[in-house]
Amino acid sequence: MTGKLRIAFSLLAAVVIAGACSSSGATSAPSGSSLKIGVVTDVGSVTDHTFNEYSYEGAKAAATALGATINVAVPADASDYSKDIQSFVDDKYNIIVTVGFNLGDATITAAKANPNIWFVAVDVAPCVDPTGAPDDTFACAGDAATLLPKLIGIQFEEDQAGYLAGIVAAAVSTSGVIGQIGGIDNNPAVVRYMQGFQLGAASYNPNIQVKTAWFSNGDLTKAYGDPVFGKTFSTQFIAQQGVDVVFQVAGSTGNGALDAACAAGIYGIGVDVDEYLTYPSADRCLVTSAEKNVSAAVNQTVTAIAGKTAKGGISKFNAANNGVGYAPLSENTLVTYPSDLQGKLDTALAAMKSGTLPTCPAQCGTWSGQ
Amino acid sequence: MSGPDTIQPPLARARKAIVRAIVASAQPIAEPLVAIFLALVVGAVGITVFSGLLAGHSNFDIGLPAAAYLALLGGVASPNGITSTLNYSTPLILAGLGVGLGFKAGLFNIGGRGQFLFGTVGAMAVATTVGASQSSYITVPLALLAGAAFGAAAGFIPGFLKATSGAHEVVTTIMLNYVFVFVTYWAISGPLSLPNAHQPITADVTARNAALPIIFGDVQHPAYAGILLALAAVPIIWVLLYRTTLGFEIRSAGANPDAARYGGMKTNRLIVLTMSIAGLMSGLAGATTLMGVVQQIAPGYDTTVGFDAITVALLGRSNPVGILFSGLLLGAMRAGSQTMQVQAGVPAELVDALQAIILVFLVVNALRRWLDRRAAKRGSTPSVDAGAAQAAEGVA
Repeated sequence: MTGKLRIAFSLLAAVVIAGACSSSGATSAPSGSSLKIGVVTDVGSVTDHTFNEYSYEGAKAAATALGATINVAVPADASDYSKDIQSFVDDKYNIIVTVGFNLGDATITAAKANPNIWFVAVDVAPCVDPTGAPDDTFACAGDAATLLPKLIGIQFEEDQAGYLAGIVAAAVSTSGVIGQIGGIDNNPAVVRYMQGFQLGAASYNPNIQVKTAWFSNGDLTKAYGDPVFGKTFSTQFIAQQGVDVVFQVAGSTGNGALDAACAAGIYGIGVDVDEYLTYPSADRCLVTSAEKNVSAAVNQTVTAIAGKTAKGGISKFNAANNGVGYAPLSENTLVTYPSDLQGKLDTALAAMKSGTLPTCPAQCGTWSGQ
Repeated sequence: MSGPDTIQPPLARARKAIVRAIVASAQPIAEPLVAIFLALVVGAVGITVFSGLLAGHSNFDIGLPAAAYLALLGGVASPNGITSTLNYSTPLILAGLGVGLGFKAGLFNIGGRGQFLFGTVGAMAVATTVGASQSSYITVPLALLAGAAFGAAAGFIPGFLKATSGAHEVVTTIMLNYVFVFVTYWAISGPLSLPNAHQPITADVTARNAALPIIFGDVQHPAYAGILLALAAVPIIWVLLYRTTLGFEIRSAGANPDAARYGGMKTNRLIVLTMSIAGLMSGLAGATTLMGVVQQIAPGYDTTVGFDAITVALLGRSNPVGILFSGLLLGAMRAGSQTMQVQAGVPAELVDALQAIILVFLVVNALRRWLDRRAAKRGSTPSVDAGAAQAAEGVA
């Protein structure tokens, strides 16, 4: 017993001594500048093939180009949000990127307390009261851009991504009837996707019929968090409306719509990220996804901050700055893509980049039963 | 003992007695300490072996473990680390006391996760409904009470099932965890969700006068008053266990349920009561976490406290004072993990691995002791002392 203990002790002693000798070399990261970038993801993992991963990838690409130090914190649960942000603040990080709506309040609070640090909140439209504190009544009476001039909320022009998805949907439809199902019609981002989808589909085929449905009128769980309900609802929708493509804009409820599409032998289109990677169970019928290019958005934002060209407030990402797009057309389904599809997509994307293509109606973000 | 000792001089006898007393009193502390030490050694070996996989490190970087542990310590010693240690320890101590109480009664409560979450729902419900209209002097105690009551209700169910039908609490608490996870999901995205939000999210407790006061630190490094509750709970549970009839009955039922029943104790009532108190403690853990560090929750909110509390209770050998220290230790490890990752490049998940390894060593020891006891019962070991010696050997 004592023999074993002695061996263990001497092992530890060796480790400590060796560590004391080399710890200075082990901790220093190669760095060409004094800039330090910290990323706090949402709960989960940093290789989730969605916002966590792409935000980190974007920040890392920017850091590499700038020769900056980068580190990531992955909260184990919500009790880590504030503490993880604060640990970067205490370590004198210059730019702190936080990922997703759930970290919104923690980010705003930290930005208010640390006016000299840049904060980048991915997929958040900062809503503050007149003092610059987070406003949970969503009255948003304060002007975030002036109250918190170093807080940038990254937002996307979803209608452009929806437009591109609409072109693909119209191209692969044989019946000329396609469908889109959203969560609730009060969410501007969801509505923008769907308005863009309609216009995009009509641009490819003026005679296309786009059937629209909503999972719920107000129940957020049914709308965005219930794939089982999503599948039941969508199965009915597909049968009644006779659509042969379904575009889902409803988070995990929408993934149920993709399952329903697969079961019905029709095609599905994913949303936000390349769902071919995030929702493999629908791979056999998923043709593409309307994508937010989170990585490019974070990369550009961080680079702009380093180059001192960034401004606080909402930063909009669209085709012009490579912020939205469509996922690679899947070769894994039975679909044969029309030969003119790629050309139409390229033309539309080019027109969006030059700002000449309207992808959203006048009431952009407000659904009025089109 | 006294026979052969009479030939020894009195001084030597006294010295021997003192050594025996020290060994006896050190043994319950020694076992967890050795488990922690061995876990650190295994962790160090793990870091060294896998160092090549980490960015910026060579294969078998023998200095990395020390760098990692030093960074972990440094992280704990920082202002953020000290306050975070207290904040993270709060639910671990509270829920750990509940699990430990269960162990004393011979009950294995794995339902901490569900009880914690249901307690969170209770506190959030108070914050959402009465919060804005009342001062924090009313809302905070009310929300804590609701958290405790919801947690107790969640613990009552498996206790009641065991008392009435004999359904094993391990099975029912694991299954009920899922029930409460989904109840919580529903509550957050439905009735507790902010009406104007485009995505489901609850109110911020600060805006509803339901945030726990900050006892020291500043707004950016807050130590919340929950730790006072946890510190107060330690002597309360200790007195309950060792100075009340109920505590005696709980310990008797745990040591030998048949004898307890034969002695006239209502063991079914004890089971229900113990599980309810365990649930109450976990519910309180959920409420203090919500009203302290978390503040606002979105669907998918979950916790590892329920399971970590089992480690805490085992490491503290179900003794309230032991649980206090093991809760602080696990809280500190979590508080320092981020600094370790940032400064030494070793993933923060290492602390989860260390916790798991500690647990493995503790369980191995418990198993060893149990096997020894069985062997002693069969008469293959001559004395109880030899059994204790074997248990001590098992430690090393």
